[in-house]
Amino acid sequence: MKLADERGMTTVYEPAEDSRLLADAVLDRIDGGRVLEVGVGSGYVAARVDSETHADVVGCDINPAACARAKGEGIEIVRSNLTDPFAADSFDAVVFNPPYLPTPPDEEWDDPLEYALSGGEDGRRVVRPFLADVGRILRPTGRCYLLVSTLTDIEAVVELAETAGLAAEQIAEESFPFERLVVLKITQKNT
Amino acid sequence: MKETLLDILCCPLDKAELELEVIREDDEEILEGRLICTECGEEYPIEDGIPNLLPPDMRDEATA
Repeated sequence: MKLADERGMTTVYEPAEDSRLLADAVLDRIDGGRVLEVGVGSGYVAARVDSETHADVVGCDINPAACARAKGEGIEIVRSNLTDPFAADSFDAVVFNPPYLPTPPDEEWDDPLEYALSGGEDGRRVVRPFLADVGRILRPTGRCYLLVSTLTDIEAVVELAETAGLAAEQIAEESFPFERLVVLKITQKNT
Repeated sequence: MKETLLDILCCPLDKAELELEVIREDDEEILEGRLICTECGEEYPIEDGIPNLLPPDMRDEATA
C-alpha cells in the first residue's frame, strides 16, 4: 500500500499530527515580522500564523493544487522549488514541514504526494537542499522551524544544519508508535 | 500576488531582481502578468494571482 493510501489523502497534503505540532510550536514563538512557510500544502499552518499573529505570511509549494488551495485560504502564495526564488535577508521566520519519510527507490511513485511525503532513500532528500539555502533568506536574527522525525535521523539533520553554518536545537516533540516528531529551531550560528 | 511581494522575490536561477509586468489586476492584487529577470531575461508567469517561479526546466515536469 502506498503511503498516500495509508494516510488517506488525495493530491494535497492534509494537516496531520505533524502539522499541528509545528503550528503550536511556531505560534508560541512568532509575534510579527515576515514569515515564509515552505511546502504550504493545505495552508493549515500558514493560515493559523496569519490569523493568530501579526506576522506577514507568505507560502510556497511546488504542487499547483496546493498553491491554489492555500491561495483560497487567503495566503499569499508563490509556486517554487523550496526557497529558490526568495531574496536574501527577507524573513524573520521560515517554517517547513518537509517530506521526510524514507522511501526506497522502487516504491517511489510519480504523483504530487510523492513530493509531499517522500524524503527519498534516507528521508533527507528535501531537507538537504532546504538547509543548504535557508540561511540565505533568513535575516541575521531570523529563525527557522523545521519538523523532523526520528525516521529521518534527527542527528543527521542537525549535522546538515551545522554544515550550512546554522545552529539547531530541539524545541518541541511528540511521540507516536513508530516515530518521534521533533521541531528544530534553526538559527544563524553567530546569533 | 500583491505588488509588495516583489521586495522579497528574486530570479530562482541567478538571484537577480525581477521586473513586474501587469496584464490584469484588481484593487487588491495582480491576477495575471509576468515577472522578468533583470539579469538573464527569463520570464515567469503570474496566473490566478500566483507567480510561478519554478525554474524553466521544472515548470512542465513538476507535479501536475
